[in-house]
Amino acid sequence: MSTKHQHDRSHHASIATGIGDPQCFKGKAGKPKFKEGDTVRVKDMPDIFYTRCQVYPRGAVGQVTKLVYESPAAEDEAWDNTDKPEWFYSVAFNQKELWPEYSDAYPNDTLETEFSERWLEKA
Amino acid sequence: MSEHHHEPAPMVDEVSDFEILEMAVRELAIEKGLFSAEDHRIWTEYVHTLGPTPAARLVAKAWLDPEYKNLCVTDGVEASKAVGVDWINSPPTHFGTPSDYCNLRVLEDTPTLKHVVVCTLCSCYPRPILGQSPEWYRTPNYRRRLVRWPRQVLAEFGLQLPSDVQIRVADSNQKTRYIVMPVRPAGTDGWSEDQLAEIVTRDCLIGVAVPKPGVTSNTMRPIHKAVHPVEHGHGH
Repeated sequence: MSTKHQHDRSHHASIATGIGDPQCFKGKAGKPKFKEGDTVRVKDMPDIFYTRCQVYPRGAVGQVTKLVYESPAAEDEAWDNTDKPEWFYSVAFNQKELWPEYSDAYPNDTLETEFSERWLEKA
Repeated sequence: MSEHHHEPAPMVDEVSDFEILEMAVRELAIEKGLFSAEDHRIWTEYVHTLGPTPAARLVAKAWLDPEYKNLCVTDGVEASKAVGVDWINSPPTHFGTPSDYCNLRVLEDTPTLKHVVVCTLCSCYPRPILGQSPEWYRTPNYRRRLVRWPRQVLAEFGLQLPSDVQIRVADSNQKTRYIVMPVRPAGTDGWSEDQLAEIVTRDCLIGVAVPKPGVTSNTMRPIHKAVHPVEHGHGH
């Protein structure tokens, strides 16, 4: 009688078993939009329900240090949506760019963190 | 004075929202047959055996072998295999892995660049190669202050760095887990891999300390004799 769709809740675990996550999404994100050394700005997008983009780097400009892996964005993965993997980028910021009050005595200090492609734009 | 009757206060353990959430998810997973309660116990028992010694060994090997150092920096998951850590298949439990994700970056310090690791959004930590995170690593205090005032926080750990050393904070917010490869300290010429591994303590691998000859966490603990030893006189 019931035609209730049964969602396979172990789907994500089974595609990663023996391969690893994010390795299981390798080759699935298509062409990366940015390359190492590119200057990018972190977008400030609404984040309903779940995100892994911190608030403090939003709007800040930094340099792509590395294309790290392909994976569904956390905002999709939280809902078990693994259909559209994206490129992930490690981006380094000068601390002064993130925290205007950061001490001028240490102008070289930096912070590095990762973003999925949707959070970045060319700067 | 009238007599007061005091109801005993209920004995309640403080349980956080996150602990309740974990219990709810765990019970649901058991109910749905994803794993059994015993599976969960075996997995937890295994994870609690993990510690920072493989990561210390990785750093010591890299200090001695430039080719291996290069592998560490380019492919941390592959390099981990040389120290007995398989990020993808390691648990003897035959299910799960001690890490949610299998991506390790080894951050190489130089004399003018010092890395330190934090997870501002939660407490992501390279558990397969470092074991469980220290309590302070998970505190909001460390997480919110390290990104903004790294020099002050490091100073509280006893690490004061000159201004010509760049501090680079790595905020582990997605699927990468980090360990720090510190600079090999002076005074360690001719040391063996075992000797070098001993000075690479957990805190050096997180980045809040730097290795020093003579400062280890893996040395034998001193055995103190009991001041008042218990006599077991059974009528001999």
